[in-house]
Amino acid sequence: MGVTNALNVVADSPLDSLEPASPDAEAQAVFAEIRAFYERTDVPVAFRRVAGDPGYLADLWGAVRRAFADSTLTRRHKEALAFAVSVTTRSSFGTAFHLGEMRRLGVGERGVLEVLGVTQMFSSYTKIADTLQLEPDMDHIAAGDPSPAPGGAAPRPAARLPEAP
Amino acid sequence: MPTVRLRDASEYPEPIQKLFEVAKAWFKYDFAQPPAMSRVMAWDPELGAFHGRAMKRAMAPGEFSRAEKEMVAAVVSGVNACAY
Repeated sequence: MGVTNALNVVADSPLDSLEPASPDAEAQAVFAEIRAFYERTDVPVAFRRVAGDPGYLADLWGAVRRAFADSTLTRRHKEALAFAVSVTTRSSFGTAFHLGEMRRLGVGERGVLEVLGVTQMFSSYTKIADTLQLEPDMDHIAAGDPSPAPGGAAPRPAARLPEAP
Repeated sequence: MPTVRLRDASEYPEPIQKLFEVAKAWFKYDFAQPPAMSRVMAWDPELGAFHGRAMKRAMAPGEFSRAEKEMVAAVVSGVNACAY
């Protein structure tokens, strides 16, 4: 959600003038990685606009690649989430970009409409809930997550209070 | 605090109470009271029934699983800063 918004906010703003006419070699190397990752010949505008600072571009790209690479969640699913975020935030760039990525990764028309349907329904529910100031009443359904941070230690068991004599 | 009075499930007519039972099965959870959103949407069955069916259709497994769709719902709720 955060990374998607980071790209959308730059791409949807009138920042054409920031795109360097001739990106330097360091930026070109990052562009090559971006083209390979997305299997396309051009570089999405969100990256081109920050290419004037190649170090920043490289770090931004590293974060985007890490966020969208196959992991516990598939890349296909992550693109669907990014599409939902982009539609919800009315991002023209993000909506078109992630719709294209979903299709490229094999999501069919039915799948696109499924994600759009969920996005639309929950855009409705969230507004109703906020307007009526409904208080969360379903958060206890899910079990708590006891897993540690990646690479970290398992949480210690809660300390037991001493028993009364 | 809600801006409307949330009715107890027992205040709804019997057909609506049956829908609340269906909601329990959908969530696989035995609520003491149906979720606030269910009770709000049941206020106008003509609206709530269509809206509820559209939601269930959208959330049903298809190209994406129910769990994947719940994550989509979560990010939309997050973007809209909706705690509910």
